[in-house]
Formats: sequence, C-alpha cells, structure tokens
Amino acid sequence: MTFQAPVETYKGAIRQIDVGGVAVGGESAFPFHSFDGEMPNDPKIAFEVWDIAPDDWSVTLNGVYGDTFGDSVAWAKKVVDEFGADMIYLRLRGTDPNGAARSAADAAATAKAVVAAVDVPVIVIGSGDVERDPEVLKVVAETLGGTKVVIGNAEEDTYRSVGAAAMGYQHSVVAFSPMDVNLAKQLNVLLSQLGLDEGSILMDPTTGALGYGLEYAYTVFERDRLAAFSQNDAKMQMPIIATVGQEAWKAKETKVSEDELPGTGDLVTRGLMWESLTAIALLVAGANIVVLRHPESAALIRKAISSLKGEA
Amino acid sequence: MTERYTLTFQPGGVVVADAPRGETILRAAMLADLHINASCGGSGSCGKCRVKIVSGEVESERSAKLSDDEWSEGYRLACRSHIMSDLEVFVPETSRMGNAAVLERESRGDRKGRLLTPAELQSLVTGWSLDPVVKKLCVQMIPPSENDNLNDLARFKKALKDEFGLSNVSIDSIWIRNMPHVLREQDWLVTATVVDTTYGSKVIELESGSHCGEDYSVVMDIGTTTVWGQLLDLGEGVTVAQASRYNKQISYGDDVISRIVFSQKPNGRETLQQAIVDTINEIVDELVTESGIERERISHMVAAGNTTMTCLMLGIDPKYLRMAPYVPPADFIPPVRAVNLGDGIKVGRHVHLHTFPSVASYVGGDIVSGILGSGIFDTEQITLYIDIGTNGEVVIGNKEWLIATSCSAGPAFEGGGIKHGMRATDGAVETVRIDPVTYEPTLLTISDAKPIGICGSGIIDAVAELLKAGVVSQNGKFDVGLPSDRVRTADGSNEYVLVEARYSGTGEDIVITETDIDNLVRAKAAIFAGIMTLLESVALDWTDLEQIYVAGGFGKYLRIDQAQAIGVFPEVDLDIFTFVGNGSLLGARLVSFSKDMLKAAEQVARTMTNIDMSDNPMFMDRYVAAMFLPHTDMKYFPRMEATLAERAAGGR
Repeated sequence: MTFQAPVETYKGAIRQIDVGGVAVGGESAFPFHSFDGEMPNDPKIAFEVWDIAPDDWSVTLNGVYGDTFGDSVAWAKKVVDEFGADMIYLRLRGTDPNGAARSAADAAATAKAVVAAVDVPVIVIGSGDVERDPEVLKVVAETLGGTKVVIGNAEEDTYRSVGAAAMGYQHSVVAFSPMDVNLAKQLNVLLSQLGLDEGSILMDPTTGALGYGLEYAYTVFERDRLAAFSQNDAKMQMPIIATVGQEAWKAKETKVSEDELPGTGDLVTRGLMWESLTAIALLVAGANIVVLRHPESAALIRKAISSLKGEA
Repeated sequence: MTERYTLTFQPGGVVVADAPRGETILRAAMLADLHINASCGGSGSCGKCRVKIVSGEVESERSAKLSDDEWSEGYRLACRSHIMSDLEVFVPETSRMGNAAVLERESRGDRKGRLLTPAELQSLVTGWSLDPVVKKLCVQMIPPSENDNLNDLARFKKALKDEFGLSNVSIDSIWIRNMPHVLREQDWLVTATVVDTTYGSKVIELESGSHCGEDYSVVMDIGTTTVWGQLLDLGEGVTVAQASRYNKQISYGDDVISRIVFSQKPNGRETLQQAIVDTINEIVDELVTESGIERERISHMVAAGNTTMTCLMLGIDPKYLRMAPYVPPADFIPPVRAVNLGDGIKVGRHVHLHTFPSVASYVGGDIVSGILGSGIFDTEQITLYIDIGTNGEVVIGNKEWLIATSCSAGPAFEGGGIKHGMRATDGAVETVRIDPVTYEPTLLTISDAKPIGICGSGIIDAVAELLKAGVVSQNGKFDVGLPSDRVRTADGSNEYVLVEARYSGTGEDIVITETDIDNLVRAKAAIFAGIMTLLESVALDWTDLEQIYVAGGFGKYLRIDQAQAIGVFPEVDLDIFTFVGNGSLLGARLVSFSKDMLKAAEQVARTMTNIDMSDNPMFMDRYVAAMFLPHTDMKYFPRMEATLAERAAGGR
C-alpha cells in the first residue's frame, strides 16, 4: 500500500479583496499549504511611512531612512522604488494630540501627496488616538475621495465614524481589535452591521513581536483562520494585516547595542532578524499583509515566501 | 378560576383572547405584544394610553387626563381600565406605536415566560403528600383520678401513643418543667409540636388548649443578592405571604468570594452571620405583619442557599470553599435552632431551621432545592435547569443523572450593579417595549405603581428592545447619533431615559446606562458560557434538550424570547421553556410540606455531579464569545440575525 498524505479540506476560504488594485487573500487553506488548498495571491509586503519624522525609531532604521524622515513623499518613493514595497502603510502619527497635533487637513494633504507620488496601494492609518482618529480619517477619506485607499484603524470606539467615512467615499478599512478571536469577530460584525461591505475590510488582530507575545499572536491568527476555514465563518474571512515592523522594532533587542547586551551579536543583524522572524511566523499563521520597516527583512521575507511556495 | 375574556382592538381588528377578568387593558395588550403608548408604567399619570371603549364593560377610574367630553364619548386610560367583559377597544392614533395607521401585533404571543400558578408549580412534582416534618398535634387526655394515677409525663406520652400511634417520643426538658401547669390549664387539652428526627419523634413545644390548624412555617431562599421568604400554612399546604429583601451582607461584598474574604477578617464571620440574621428577621417581620398571623404560630423554618450563604448563616467558617480542591465543610448539616443563629432569628425557641444539603463548594443547597422543586429529579426527559441569579447555577439531567455547575454572573439579573436596578417588587419596571421609529418606550411596572426602578426582567426586556430598535449596537454601546432626546450623554457616559422624572415615583429620570448594559452582558455571557460548557461536558447539544426550566427572582414574567434576543439562551423552541420563578423556594416549600421530600432532597444531592468551571479553560473562551448581543456566533440566533440585518438594511 502506498502512503497517501492526508488532505485537509475546508468549508470556507479567505475573501479575495481588492486593495487599491492589488488582490489580497483568496486562499482556501493555510498559507503555503498547497497540498490542502489554493493560495492565489502571495502575501504582500507593505512598508511603513510616517507623516512626521519619528523620534523613537531604532538607530538601525535611522541609518536607512534618515535623509527622508520628515518628507513623506520622498520616504514613500524610496520604499517603492528602492525596496520594492507592494504597499504603503502611511501612519499619520503627527496627528496625535499629545504629540505634533497636526491638523486633519495637513495630514490629509500629506496622504494625498503620498498617494499621488506612488503607484502602489496606500493604507492610511491614524495616530491611534481614539478621540482624534475619527476626525482625521473623515477628512482623509474625503480628501482622497475618488482614489480607492484603505483607511484605519476602525476600533471598537471609533468604528462607527471610521466605517461611515470609508463607506461615504468607497474606501476600505482596517479593523483593529485586541488580540482575541471573539473581539476581532465582534468588530467585523459591527462594521458589517453598519452597512460596510465585508469585501472592504482588512483585519488587524494585533501583532506581538518575537519575545513579546509572538506565540500568542500566532495562536490567535491561526484560530482566526481556522474560524474562516473550518467553520466557514463569513465574519472571519477577511484578509489579515500584521504590523510586524512597529512591534519588532519596539523590542529592546532591536535598539540596544552589543555593548549593553553582551553576547547578543551585531545590533543591525539582530534587529532585522527580529523583524524577519516575527514576520515569517505570522505569515505562516495566516497574515496576508506584513507591514515592515527594514528593506533587508523585506528581502529575506520575499525569499522565504518564494521558498515556502516551493519555487527555487 | 378567573373568567377570561376576548378583546378586539381597532383599527386592525387584532384579537387578544384569554384576558383574565380584572386585568387592565394595557397589561392585556402588552402581554399579547400589542403596543399601546404608555410612559408611566401603567400608573395612570402620563395619560398616553387613552383608548375608546366601543363595546363591553370596564371598571375604570376617572382621570384628570381625560376631559368630560372624552369621558362621555367612552375614552378611558387603558392602564386604569379593568376588563369586566368581552371588549371592543378603539386605539386612537396618538396611542399607537409610531402613530401607525393600524395596530399591529409585534411578533407572536409568547406566554411561555408567564410564571406558573401556585397550583401548576405544585404539580411539577408528583407523588408527595402533605405530611410536614413538623406537626402540631392536639392531645386530649383523660384527667387523672384515684384509679388512674399515672404521672403527667406518662399520661401525655400514653395519649400520644393511643391517639397518634407515636411511641418512643422524646421531650425537651423545658416542657417537662412546665408540664403540670400546661396540662391542667385547659382541662387536659394541649397542643404538642412534634418534629420527626432521625431518632424518632420529639416534642419541641407544648401549649395548653387547641392550636391545631395554626401551624405555619417560614421557607427562605438565601440568595447572595436577594433573600426571599414565604410564610406557609402547613395545614392547608398553601402560601400565606411572601416578602423579599436585599441580603444585608451586600455591604461586605457583591459575590460569594468577597464575602468569604470578608469572613476571614476579625469578627468577619460574626458580622456576616448577623447581617443575614437581620435580613431574615426583617422578612419574618413583614411576613407576620402582612399575614396577620402570630409569630408564635411559626413552628418550622427551611432555608435554601448556596454553600457559602448556608455556611455564613450557620456560622460555619467558609474559608476553604475558595481554596483548591474546593471542599465544602459538610454536605448534610443537621437542623439547628433558629434562635441560636447570631442574635437570634425572632421566632419561638423551639423552631428548628433545616438547610438543604450542598453538592460542592459552588453547587449549593439552593440548586438542590431547585432541582427538587421543579421535579427534574423525577423526570425521564433530559432537562436543563438554570437559576439566573448572582451565582448562576446550571444543571442538566433527569431522574437518572444530574450534572451541575455554577458560573458567577454577578447581581445584574437581580437589579444589582444597575444604576436604577431594584428587586422585583412594587414599582419595578418589569415589561418594556420600545418603538423602533420614535424610540419612545412603553412600560409596565409591578402592581402598576409609579416606576421607581428596573428589575431583572425589565432590564432584559429593555436591552432587548434597545438592541432591536438599533438604539444600542451588538457591543452594547448606544448610538448617540439618533434623533431622540432619550439617548443622551450625562456625566461622560451614554444612557437611555426609560422614564422621565415627571412620570417616575422618585422624581428623577430612570435611565439605563452603558455600564448597566456591560454588567448585563457579562452576566448573561457567564450563564450562556456555563450552559455551553456543561452541555459539551456530557456531549449534548441544545437540540438534545427536551425541556428547559428557568428560575430566578423576576416577578411574574420573564419574556423568554427577549432573554433569547440578548443571548441568555439560544433561539431554541419556546415551547420547551418553563419559567418557575424562585426555584430555591419551590424546593424549600416542598421540604416544609412533606418529610418525604426531605429525603428526596438528600437523594438529589447524592445524585448530582459537579463540574468546576474555574479550572475549565473552555469556559473563559466561551464567555468572551458570548460578550456580545446576542452572541458572536449568530448561528444560535437566526431570528435575531434576521432582525438585525433587516434593521441594517433599513438604511442606517
């Protein structure tokens, strides 16, 4: 008798959604499990770009971007032209009321300039301040009306206004929830109750970096996907976006030199490995988009995707 | 039997059959899902429920809300008009929901949430006879003479044996002390109060004269949040009076865990025991006052409570209840004298208090009592029993097997932790309808009094209606953008005004806040998760259940479909539900009425297996999944899913 490898057949699949002209998701089994199902679209690599110069990024990244910090358009062009970004994840950190407190109009102008400057899809994310985000994202949605972008984050406290802004101007949204399967689903339910098409939602189930909750994030991603595949739960079949870069480069290990952490190796290598390992783990767990910061991690991830697909 | 009448409402010709004589038109209409505007809970103060009596007879009081002309044209307030015959009633546009052109019945008449009548409740358990463990016996002795010089005690015992077949009777020494006088005071006629014990009969009280047929007991449900008591006539087998109070221990903690923690402080145990004794005394006072029955006529007490409540009442240290491996101090605790608890329960010193056996640290005598009282221990059918209280208990099984758990729900269902929450007593809003167009509420209160707060069933009703009307979303948050003054932000938190100050009995607005809804959601999630986990532990699904008994201190009505709408239960067939009201009291009554039932209670406790949720990892997961209205997994809620989808499609 010859050995027959068991095949998992699932009832459901991930929705394929259109993110500014790029198809995302659509797989009918866990990523790279080509023996179980189809993965019509490769996972995508987005690069993080800010509307202001970050003051808390690792020196490693300052080395890469230093000259473009503060010029979002130049920064965006760099990640697309030089690093081959599939998408831009534009973080409007400058609108944080406790920081630069930029006006919504200024932030929207930045977003508009970035969208005009690159030919890849743009995901525009607020500062994360739940008081401020609705106001900023409404203006962004309006300013970018006519160009399809993704706006976010829609959270439990902001989903009504962010969802309404997205619907009003035919944008998609990122639904951002705490690291819990049920809370992720609840937000998707609330957004669709609002009338938002399920095909215009990306879910960000919260990312934990290596050493800072990666195992938990992995498990939650995997359970999110199992709900989509095994239970054919329509409210869980949205593609997942994972903010790997912002989490990985927050870790002490990506910021502190070898002098302070003896025996841990070169800071630059350590940082991009930290980002790459987090990214690859979450890609295997089901992420459709990973948001990265370092071009070398992106290159590594691209190679890993290709190897996992069985390409040379 | 109360006579029942048929009401026809115009325009639309909606027929409400089976309305009992004397019920108000408003109540009959609302319970049949027919909407008539009313903002004041049926207390006659808002005047919004005016209807015109086209034909038939009502008893109605004159209201300042109606002009002389209106009165003579036949206009009456529906809440103040009692049905005395078949009626045809015209509901003017101003009294209709959303000023609709015709009256419409909202969904379907669901009467399953009606509390069973006393007779129906009694019939849940068959095969028992009225034979109380404590009885009063009238003993007539032949006076001593020269030929018959038997001593007093022997004479009394002989009479007991000759007349009642009681041999081997023991007597409290205190009664022997007074016996010479008591026997002679009324010509050798005495009343002996006799209790059956494991060791035979014991005379616990001796009075001169005949007091037979004056034999009462007090049964209590010692809840973590609410304590209910009933005064029973042991001769007739009926309830004479009922009273309730919040448990005074609440000042020392909301749930059993915090009470146990408090009990470990210096004098903590004594303080908590005194608090419950004080609570019981207030209830006994009210029972005695309400019924007009003398306190001395109470000869027996039965109390059902969870394990912690039982321990604290009896003064037993509950410390180890909350420590692994969660072993309770005792399962079967012998009866104690009521006067010996704390400063003493104010009844005769002969009165013994029986408690129900516990199964485990978190499955107590209250649930044993509920299983006994609802007759599950004696049925073939696979039954789910849920006691919706602070310590939500869930039991699945039948006469062959019983499996139980408890899931800490918090006090929300009893009005605790709810801004304007209250017990299910007079003036509590118990039924709520909310117009999905105008967002205006219609309410009924217990006893049609001016609303002073909201009880558990009112909160369930209100939140279900708010959800269906789109005033709150599935995560329990208000949509503050609605065009209604009733949804507002006060002190930084959102709320819905259920009763405006001018119609309330407190002179203040009665509101439901987002925090109230959060507390309710947590409570119902715990119950739902507990049921799911328990079902799975015996490899059953909802569809395997043949009957569902729901217990809880909800007043007369608990709308099962509304409880389903918020996700306390899934949308299984309403016909399998029975609402039994206070389950613990049911069993306590039986035990007081029949000594056979005391034995049955012990049998129930022995049959029941406990599953502990605290070390069950799936429970927490299911709990979080249920923290949504009605649930994250809508497959159990097809009706609500359709309702919500319809509303979403409705353009908002």
